[in-house]
Amino acid sequence: MIAALKRMRLAGLVALWILVLAFFAVRSPAFLSLANFSSILQFSTVLALVTFGQTLVILGGGGGIDLSVGGIVSLSGLSIAFSIKEGLDPFLASLGGIAFGGLLGFINGLLVTKFRLLPLVATLGTFYAYNGLSVALTDGAPIAGLPPFFGTLGQGSVAGIPLHTVFIVLPTFLILEFVLWQVPAGRWIYAIGGNERACRLVGLPVDLIRLGIYVHSGLMAALAGLVADSWLLSARPNIGENLELLSLTAALLGGTSIFGGSGGLAGSLVAVFFFTSFQTGLQMLNVNAIWQLGFVGLFLIFSVVLDTFIRRGEST
Amino acid sequence: MSADSIRWLGGRREVSLALACLGAVGVFRAFSPYFLTAANLTTILQNSVELLLISLGISFILATAGIDIAVGGVLGISAIFIGWSLEAGWPLPATLLVGPLVGTCLGMVSGFMVVVGKVPPIIATLGLFGIYRAAIFLLLGGSWISGLPNTLASLVNGAVWGVPVVAVYVVVFYFVGWLILRWFPLGTAVLAVGGNERAAQLAGVAVGRSKFFVYTMTGFLVGFAALLYVARYRNVETSTGQTIALDAIVAAVLGGSSVLGGRANLIGTILGVVLVRLLQNGFVLAGVPSLWEQVITGSLLLLVLILDAALERSARFKSA
Repeated sequence: MIAALKRMRLAGLVALWILVLAFFAVRSPAFLSLANFSSILQFSTVLALVTFGQTLVILGGGGGIDLSVGGIVSLSGLSIAFSIKEGLDPFLASLGGIAFGGLLGFINGLLVTKFRLLPLVATLGTFYAYNGLSVALTDGAPIAGLPPFFGTLGQGSVAGIPLHTVFIVLPTFLILEFVLWQVPAGRWIYAIGGNERACRLVGLPVDLIRLGIYVHSGLMAALAGLVADSWLLSARPNIGENLELLSLTAALLGGTSIFGGSGGLAGSLVAVFFFTSFQTGLQMLNVNAIWQLGFVGLFLIFSVVLDTFIRRGEST
Repeated sequence: MSADSIRWLGGRREVSLALACLGAVGVFRAFSPYFLTAANLTTILQNSVELLLISLGISFILATAGIDIAVGGVLGISAIFIGWSLEAGWPLPATLLVGPLVGTCLGMVSGFMVVVGKVPPIIATLGLFGIYRAAIFLLLGGSWISGLPNTLASLVNGAVWGVPVVAVYVVVFYFVGWLILRWFPLGTAVLAVGGNERAAQLAGVAVGRSKFFVYTMTGFLVGFAALLYVARYRNVETSTGQTIALDAIVAAVLGGSSVLGGRANLIGTILGVVLVRLLQNGFVLAGVPSLWEQVITGSLLLLVLILDAALERSARFKSA
């Protein structure tokens, strides 16, 4: 039964998602419209990208967790908007912003691999530092008034599917899946998450891989910041709020083990769609958005309890 | 500085912290003449009381290698219940019970998640924080509880034989905490669980019960802190307690608690709280906008952790 539970996990999540879709479709007929479908995709991109980064961080084990993702989304989004307002070419500004996100992730990685801090306290520290910086540097006010053509990526769509879903989320997902399953570096992530000591003994560059994972998380968060900028044509200092909670929950609900070494991106992506459907559904029913936060907290705890239950079953 | 003296400073946490506090006072005095006045120092100490109580609990939790980032939510919810009981005009003893009671119950929830659910503390308390924040919004219905009656004023303003009553709470709670850690099997168990959970379990230590105790105790202390909070500010907002978890963790880590568990230094925690509040107050008086507070506190946490790790490594190198 336990083995079945583990195998069925992804299917179960898909079923749960369909259940949510069905529930909202019954409550509000507009929910199943093409327009709403495209708005679900529109809302899912930022969370999807951040969750990709978060998933790899957790997969890499060693207590891996990145609480600072929201701060990186806000800060890199602000840096892009700021450079564009200063007259920099939007393309260069975007590249610079993504590199900046990578740098912030690099700081996390250094704290974890070089200074040997526990990831949860290291990224708790940067969580406050990054979030605090984005509010302090802007006095809490958004940087608005980006040129309309900059909005193509964030607002454009083909056949109801947002451009960023086609050109960013999908390719990123496919490339990462390919790397995770077919490229040695990807397999190593699973390996160090599964048994770090063994990996060190056979000579894998464990620290380097981990550093890379945190840089990757920063890059993904910055990409999310770029999409958010382009979508809203402005950068908000609090755009990344609650993303650490959401991305963690999505990754864990998607079947990635909090102890690393098992799980994957497919589950994370389904969990993200599940969340965003839930969110748009609640909006359509005019339910206060704050409820969502509570539900997410419940899901987070639930998915870890489920995971522990499965593991305990396996080990006996 | 020689490695020996570094080790000595690392070993005498209270000394280095006290020096750091004095250093901070010296620096900030140069920036603002108001900093070193009796009025301002009193304000700093008054502002430290809630944090002192919460940090005591966090020190115990860190000692078991746990963490609790939901304390801000517990503070908010307890404060709401206290506010309601004041609005409803409950008799004073009942009101006094409400805060610690709600806090203790919520602490038990965290303990239950960690012990029975076997959820890693960071995940359990992050999830609970999300739930509590939603709950705070829903309980408050988007508005603040404000203009509460002055019933609780004596709780923070009074004095016993000339000693401010808030100082009495701090001394009493820390003394009990010290007693538990130093003289009771429970305290030894708490430290043992954080030092090496598996070894503790094999040695017959009640691991689950020890962990459950530290979260429950923290809940109680947060509930009591909520009482003082309401007594002082006489309102409850949706943002009540939002950053207190960071402050408490920073203070405890500054004080010499290790996030890896197995250590607790209560005098250090007290000095850590004082240093955190000194810095926060000093930066504002020195003209740094208060928006920078989170940046400063977060960076302080990282700095202390890095220094601690470096000291530990050099100590290990020395002894090897």
